[in-house]
Amino acid sequence: MPLVMPSTAINLHTPATRHDHAPPAALQRAWALLWRGATLLLLGLLSSAAPAQTVYLDTAWRAPGAGPTFPATAPAQRVALPDEWARTRPDQRGPLWYRTELPPLRDDGAGDELYALFIEHVCSNLEVYLNGEKLHSGGRMSTPYTHNCNHPQLVALPSALLRKGGNVLDIRLVGHPLAEVGSRQRAGALSALVIGPQSELAARHARLTALQVWAPQAVSATLLLMGGFMFVLGFLNRRESHLAYFGALCVGWALVDGRLWLRSMPLGHSETEFLVLAMLGFITWAAVQFLLRYAGVRHRVADVGLPVQCALLSVSLVLAGAQRLHAVASVWYLLLAGEVLAAAAWHLHQQRPGHGRWLMAALLGAVSIAGAIEFAAQWTSGLPSMLTLASNVAQLLVPTIFVLVGLRLVQQHGRALQHAEQDKAVLEQRVREATVEIERNFRQMAELRVEQVTERERKRIAADLHDDLGAKLLTIVHTSDSERISTLAREALEEMRLSVRGLTGRPVRLADALGDWRAEVVSRLGQAGIEGDWSAPEDLPQTLSARAYVQTTRILREATSNIIKHSGATQCTVQAGITDNDFQFVVQDNGDGIASEIDGRLDRGHGLASMKNRAKQLQGQCLVESTPGHGTVIRLTVPLDRATQAS
Amino acid sequence: MKTILLLEDLPEIRAWMRKLVLQVFPGATISESARVHDAIELVSAVKFDLALIDLGLPDGSGVDVVTKLRDLQPEAQSVVVTIHDDDEHLFPALQAGAFGYILKEQARELITEQLQRISQGEPPLSPSIARRVMAYFSAKAKPASNANAIPAVNLTDRESEVLLRVAKGYTLPEIGVQLGLSRHTIADYVKQIYRKLNVSSRAEAALEAQRLGLFR
Repeated sequence: MPLVMPSTAINLHTPATRHDHAPPAALQRAWALLWRGATLLLLGLLSSAAPAQTVYLDTAWRAPGAGPTFPATAPAQRVALPDEWARTRPDQRGPLWYRTELPPLRDDGAGDELYALFIEHVCSNLEVYLNGEKLHSGGRMSTPYTHNCNHPQLVALPSALLRKGGNVLDIRLVGHPLAEVGSRQRAGALSALVIGPQSELAARHARLTALQVWAPQAVSATLLLMGGFMFVLGFLNRRESHLAYFGALCVGWALVDGRLWLRSMPLGHSETEFLVLAMLGFITWAAVQFLLRYAGVRHRVADVGLPVQCALLSVSLVLAGAQRLHAVASVWYLLLAGEVLAAAAWHLHQQRPGHGRWLMAALLGAVSIAGAIEFAAQWTSGLPSMLTLASNVAQLLVPTIFVLVGLRLVQQHGRALQHAEQDKAVLEQRVREATVEIERNFRQMAELRVEQVTERERKRIAADLHDDLGAKLLTIVHTSDSERISTLAREALEEMRLSVRGLTGRPVRLADALGDWRAEVVSRLGQAGIEGDWSAPEDLPQTLSARAYVQTTRILREATSNIIKHSGATQCTVQAGITDNDFQFVVQDNGDGIASEIDGRLDRGHGLASMKNRAKQLQGQCLVESTPGHGTVIRLTVPLDRATQAS
Repeated sequence: MKTILLLEDLPEIRAWMRKLVLQVFPGATISESARVHDAIELVSAVKFDLALIDLGLPDGSGVDVVTKLRDLQPEAQSVVVTIHDDDEHLFPALQAGAFGYILKEQARELITEQLQRISQGEPPLSPSIARRVMAYFSAKAKPASNANAIPAVNLTDRESEVLLRVAKGYTLPEIGVQLGLSRHTIADYVKQIYRKLNVSSRAEAALEAQRLGLFR
């Protein structure tokens, strides 16, 4: 039994895990905007060069003292400002007093000008006294100190306290020695003092505060939110684990950045430093894993080693104690930075060349530059203002880059989701098509089987009939003395064959049927000496059911027999054709015609009744027109629709 | 003088056929058989000019005798005499090498005429048989996937023409007129067609047997 297989193979493929595209225009625009903004900021800050009225105080008397006033008895030392404890008194801790004499100001005591003191950088906290009066306190002066390291201080100098003769400015500074802090920027220091009109200094103060406090706060908040979001994304979707690591990296960085602008913490100083440094280990873990996973690699060494490294870091910090914090921290900085750089280099090496690679390279380059600037700030002393500025920008740069990268990752993720959806839809469509195909094949197979069974039945019936009935009829045909009985038996045999055919036969093409009919009619007429003329259209596409074919054959046979036996014609024309949806035969002979009975109906004896009956059974009709002496016309009409449907 | 084989299981029919054959071929030697088995033995032993073979026999199909006769005595003409008029029965006989066919229930005169015609080299061809033959050869014309296939026997254009017209119901004389050939030539074409059918069918059978490993 032929088996029909689906012609279309089902092509299943898993959707790609990541779709790398050219960085979108939006990202490139954001990048350009960032550079422009940074340049403007830089120019803006640079242009805040001191106008003529401001005075820089770059030297002061310094003496250690824990008391509430400038120690009178302790030896005072003349130092230059900015003064870095890491450089000038690396091993000592404890509050320091700074004393300067204010230069004569333009309007001493009189006039409306309000003067202010602007201190760019102070670490950790200070109190300002003018002529013995406490003007300003930055917060807690006992441990844990308020962390003002990133907050520029602006102290208004009230005119009432300014004396004509000379003014003494005392600053009490508390902070941590270098050894106790993780990063040089958090060691005790005092920058140069700037005295000037409050209006100008306020503007400067606001700018610097925005740059060093508000901007990092905003970026940290963004980073925190975005990091949290990405972490959840990556956590929910195990295949996109790089998102989770990036999220962790962002959150960790945001938390560490908090150190910049968080002024007071519930924990003590060393605990805070410890936390910050431990967080750096965590950040390194997240960064390296992100770089690895983003390139599609899971390294067993990394998976295990990085958390272990975090633990090691914490342990080493604890072991080192509060006093050797900076040394240990520096070592770890190098190690961690080295790891991240190595991971970055390896990641770039793994990535396919293309837009994605260039973007990653640019980003990593920017981060490296920022890192380099940070390191430079760590190791060089003197804090040149350019470096401070660059350091500030670098501090902003890194989180901003993270935000941009995060956006890009989210965009990629979204695209991947979209593609997965599309692929799923395509797959569903394919499955549907395949299902339809399979159903169709089932139907075909069922139909084929029915046909085969029918065919077998037909053969069986025919064989039975032919064997039994046919043999007996045949014997009658050839052994009977009576011509009439022989003829009857012969006709019975032919009828039997036709009946079997009509009962169980397959539909016949009209063109084929016409061929069969033509051969039979024309040869029979020819044998009887009648000239037959047959015209029919060729290659008709319709089909006849087996029953219609058989019935029409019988009608034609009957008609031909009539013409041969009774008409006495010498000529017979047969025209076959299709009109509307009907198939039509017109048989005309030039014989004697058929006599009509008394009531006008044609003589039934010529088998006309059976012809008409048969035609009616086919939902058609058989009309006979005949006048004695003028031949006979038989019109047989068989509707094709019914003929093809009747089975 | 002709030597004729008569294979028919119904005794009355056999008797009647004998009478008929003697009428057409006076003085012929007739060997009668009622079973395929006996007929095959006869074919192996006696040389025949003509064989009238019934298809429906109690111990098998007359087609086997046709095949055997073709194998052993290619010059002998085998004519299938049968009740069945459908190509399901007649086509295999023709494939096996039958020269022609006669329908048993026809009137005596008709059968006589047909027998005479066949013996004169004009085998009958009905439209349904013609259609079957056309279908067979057009299926063969398709490129064979098997590289070992014996090169197919194809009909010439003329032969295809003749087949086509027979399928449409034209009689042989009419076809002769249409193609501008004599009736005898047309009859030759029909003979050729049957021969090619036989050759092609035998080749196919041989290939199949080879494939099934019947030939060593």
